Amino acid sequence: MNYGPLIFLAAFFALAGSWFGFVITPQVQMGRQQPTNTLGSPVTYPVSRPGLARQGLQVYRANGCADCHSQQVRQSGTLLVVALTDRGTNQAAVVAALQKLKPGLSGSDAARMLQDLPKPILSSTKRQEADAAVKSLSTAGAKAALSIVPQGPDLERGWGKRRTVAGDFLYDNPVLLGSQRVGPDLANVGVRLPDMNWELCHLYWPRTEVKDSPMPACRFLFEKRPIGSAHSPDALVFPPGTDPAPGCEIVPLPEAQALAAYLVSLRADAPLFEAPLAPIPAAAVSTNTPAASGITTNAPTANTPKPS
Amino acid sequence: MSPDRASSLPLPAETAEPKAVDVAVPVGLLVLLLVLLFGGMVYFDQHGAWFKPEVYTPYISVADLQSFQPPTGGINLERGKVVYESVCGLCHNPDGAGKPNQAPPFAGSEWALGSPNRMIRIPLSGLNGTVKVKDVDWNLSMPAMGAALSDDDLSAVLTYIRSSWGNKATPITAAQVKAVRAEIGNRTQMWTVEQLNAVP
Repeated sequence: MNYGPLIFLAAFFALAGSWFGFVITPQVQMGRQQPTNTLGSPVTYPVSRPGLARQGLQVYRANGCADCHSQQVRQSGTLLVVALTDRGTNQAAVVAALQKLKPGLSGSDAARMLQDLPKPILSSTKRQEADAAVKSLSTAGAKAALSIVPQGPDLERGWGKRRTVAGDFLYDNPVLLGSQRVGPDLANVGVRLPDMNWELCHLYWPRTEVKDSPMPACRFLFEKRPIGSAHSPDALVFPPGTDPAPGCEIVPLPEAQALAAYLVSLRADAPLFEAPLAPIPAAAVSTNTPAASGITTNAPTANTPKPS
Repeated sequence: MSPDRASSLPLPAETAEPKAVDVAVPVGLLVLLLVLLFGGMVYFDQHGAWFKPEVYTPYISVADLQSFQPPTGGINLERGKVVYESVCGLCHNPDGAGKPNQAPPFAGSEWALGSPNRMIRIPLSGLNGTVKVKDVDWNLSMPAMGAALSDDDLSAVLTYIRSSWGNKATPITAAQVKAVRAEIGNRTQMWTVEQLNAVP
């Protein structure tokens, strides 16, 4: 019997099926994504990277950085955190409301919770529960803010504030997600380490900045030259006691400048509809400053993302 | 080894060739597969969000994602400013001072500070004819610039106008805009000052 047509059909459908599933379906699903507004503000996100950073993406790609560094933050869940921001005037009513929210809380403990505001009161995964808590506290005269706090091992390591989504990579070509984590995730490295000099020193000699770093030094991206009549303005400033070449200066080549600009531009932390986020109001640093609640604004407190 | 010696050894009995026979697949296995398939479908239906592009892993559906959105409280003045500068500010000036022979001012205008019902109507259907603003007669025609804006955006921009450049009037809510929209229906004719003055 001639199995030729059958084998042809089987191969055809196997390839067509995978093309349909891996190419066409994702294209239909999210191929037309556009920049959107971040939550609660008219800021457009994402914006394309500056020109130098766009060149840096190609340096990142050419040097295989994506072999050891991922750019995708994962999230395992989300918590709704109710934080008390203003205790109001009727302390007894607020204490009663707190005790109702947290059964078994003694009156003195509840009164102690009213110190050092803002303070997280309740964490929940159910919106109804959190909304009810905010309502009961505001009925008692206090002010409470609802924060949305993404959770997960990656976020605990400080690799981001929320998971990364497709919209974060809208202007990247190619998208360098990476699949291994020999080094830390870099989706938010521009938020953690925004200093160009730090990035360049770390590229030249990783061990000066991070002890025991296994990262290979990218010395070929730098030029080592004797100091002339004056320092080059671009020369690296190493941390004290770690100057790798006394008497010489290390000047980054354009590729290194571009790569560092790209790293600094990596920040995927804007609150989006598909990855909501609202930070817990930060505690006031000094008690001498007038309370921010004295200024009447229409802006909801929980809604304004911290400028980063 | 000589051939003689080999032939003298007794040969072991040959095992029979394996043969394919028809055996029915156990019914229990089929049932188990069907149960697993059904369970998988139910799980997909409940956690897969049906390929919605905005739903990512920790969230299981659009409704679940909605429940984690930050609260949108009050009227967003920041949004109002953006809408004002893109829609109104070209003629009325970004600082609300108006432009001669183009548009009357908002700052201190009795129309901007006055009845919300009249103010909401103007961007929804436009305004034609002579209108007196701060003791100056303006004989111009304004198209229905706000008809295409959402209730939220229109209320935000009107509230921005009523609370900027020294104006201190009550905010206009999205519900008020919605009510006026329902009242005037699909009117496309521009208002005149007399018609607006008839509105409370």
